[in-house]
Order: sequence, then structure tokens, then C-alpha cells
Amino acid sequence: MSRLPRPFRRTAALIIAAAIASLLPPPVAAQSSKVKQGMPEIFNGRARVATETARGDVYWNIQIDSYTPEKELKGMQQALQSGGSAGFVEALKKAPVAGHLKIGDKTFTIRWARKQPSKNGHVISLVTDGPVYYVGAGLPDAKPREGYDVAVIRIDLDSSNTGTGTMAAAARVKAGGASGVEIEDYGAEPVKLVSVMRMIS
Amino acid sequence: MSVRGLTCLVLALSVTASSAQTAQTSQSANRWRKTAPESFRANAQVTGTGGGVASGLTIQIDKYTSDADHAALVKALKEGGNGAFVSTLKTSPVVGKVTMGDRTFTIRWARQQIKGDSRRIAVATDSPVFFAGAGAVDAKPTAGFDIAVLEFTVDSIGLGKGSMAAAAHVKPGGPTGVQVDDYSGKRIDLVTVTRNSS
Repeated sequence: MSRLPRPFRRTAALIIAAAIASLLPPPVAAQSSKVKQGMPEIFNGRARVATETARGDVYWNIQIDSYTPEKELKGMQQALQSGGSAGFVEALKKAPVAGHLKIGDKTFTIRWARKQPSKNGHVISLVTDGPVYYVGAGLPDAKPREGYDVAVIRIDLDSSNTGTGTMAAAARVKAGGASGVEIEDYGAEPVKLVSVMRMIS
Repeated sequence: MSVRGLTCLVLALSVTASSAQTAQTSQSANRWRKTAPESFRANAQVTGTGGGVASGLTIQIDKYTSDADHAALVKALKEGGNGAFVSTLKTSPVVGKVTMGDRTFTIRWARQQIKGDSRRIAVATDSPVFFAGAGAVDAKPTAGFDIAVLEFTVDSIGLGKGSMAAAAHVKPGGPTGVQVDDYSGKRIDLVTVTRNSS
């Protein structure tokens, strides 16, 4: 808590390059739009916010029932380009449910789920249809929450299905930047996902 | 996140002592007479359903609140409730500060109570320190929780523990005459409180 506050005063947008990349249209050969075999995929891990003087950890669980069909992904990307952040959120909320994120006794609906091969394993990108947590909103001078309507998660898995990741727990997805997609995190930096592990069913 | 009263937190507002205790306290008080200025380090911890947060803080007490200033606060609380208490607190003399990282919060009320070889120390800041749980999507409004109250016990060596209502609302009531409600409904534990050597 002590060192946490300072970053939260800053309102500058944080661009998560990796997450941006995961939201961009993948090469056709790399797409796995609808993988039913082996579903659902269940992951456990811890979310960590750490600064020089404070640290917070929570346990989370993600169940992916199905990856979002390519048609739906493209529809949301087009909505982002044409309608901006609001258009993206509107399209996201209409997309089929792909899974759930559970933290404590709270459950969040995942409506964007993509799995892509990477050098060492896979990269999974997820977007929930609502924010998960406004990191830093507990400060007396916290900034307004409006516009941070989703959460964006990226998980990097190795060949043994363990890994790490990041989460913009309250994010605004915007069109723009060199890649065409920008993710602005309410918090000063993304939450780290550690000890990520796919559960063997 | 139900609000739960942190009764018995504010010690000095309703202290009564028997004559026997007074005699004992008098001896102990002599030992603690020259305690301020003094400072303490504390590790703050709060745990929830699926995890927890830990941080460090420093409590600097330059002097303890005088009986006159203390009486004014008690009167304000009894007659005007939380609003009057907060208003009076904000005009009370500065007696110290709480530091968390690069943030500083002004202490305008600090009292101590001698209990044998230990002291119970309570301080109030003139603004909230942290709204625990306010980052939740369904968090309740923060209005009305205008101060923070820290209470801890230290022994004669200077070691102890306590708790913090990081965003608090005070009102008359409860067994001590003063009830402190915290925004989160759950107090933050102050573990391993240590008096800094001067």
C-alpha cells in the first residue's frame, strides 16, 4: 500500500505491447478459433501487485470452455476500428461466452479467448466483459473509473503448460498506435500472473 | 462488505480507572512520561477471500494530544456526531504523522494509556489512509469515511501489535461510548509494531 499509491496518481495510459499483439489478427495458419478437443481448459495461478514497499497476492482460476471463433474475433476487431472503445465493448458483450475467471467469490465472464502457438508453447489472450478490479482505486485521490470496462489477460505457457502472464484488471481497449490496438490500464502497471498452471483433468 | 464496528478501539475517550489501578498506573506513567516524540514501524496486513496485501508504515508521534484538545473532540463527537468530530479534528493541532511509502497523513489526535508494563496508543489522522476494497467493481461509496484510526499496544521493550481502520467513521455508542466503523468492515492488522530507537 505504501509504495503503491504513487503510480496510481499517474493517469498516463499504459500500452501493453504483448497484449496488443495477442489481440491482433493472427496468421491464418496460427489460428485455433474453435478447439473443442480437450476442453474445457482450466488454469490456476496467483495475481500479484508488488512495489518497493507493498505486495498483494490473490489466487485465481480460469476455465476456458471454448476459444472464440475467428468470425467473432474479427467482428470485435472491426467494431473497435469503426466504433472505438465503446464499439468494442458493445460487440464484446454480444459475443458468446468463452469461459470464466474466478477470484475469491467473484466470477467474471470471458467473451474473448484466443490461443496461439508461441516459441516455447502457447499464448492465451482473454478479455472479460467487465472490469475485474480497479487497482489503486482505494487511494483517497484515485482517478475516475469511467471507461475502463473490460479486463485483458495474457498468459504465456511453456510446453509443459506452466507459465506466467499479465492482467490489465480494468482496461480500456482503444484503436490507435502503431499496431492499431492500444490497451490502457486503470492501474499504473499490469498485474503479474505467476505460478500459472494448467490443471490436468 | 458489511461495516463492522471496531468498538474498544479508541481507548482514551472513555477511560475510567479504579483507585488501585490508578496507583499502579501512576508508577508506570512515570516510566512513560517522556515518550514523545517517538516513532513506530508497523507491518500492515489485510487478508480476504482469496488473498492478501501487506505493507509497511511509520507512525511518528511528536506529542500526545492535550487533555483540553481531547475534551473538545469528545464534546464534538457527543454533540455533533461524526461530522462535528471530523471538523474539530481538522482544526486540532498537528501531533504527528503516518507515512506509507511516499504518502504522509497528518495525525491530529494521539493518546496513550498505561497498562502495567505496556501502553495502548491510539492516533487519528485527519484524512483516510486507504479505502480497502474500493477497487472492487461493486464497491460502495467512500463518502463519510473521512479519517483513519490506528491503535496498537507496545510493551516496555517497544514491541507490539494493533489494528488500523484505514478509512473510518466515528459515532457515539458502543460499550466505550465511541464506535469506529471502517470502510471495509474489516480492520487492517498491524503486526510486529516496533518502537524506533531514538
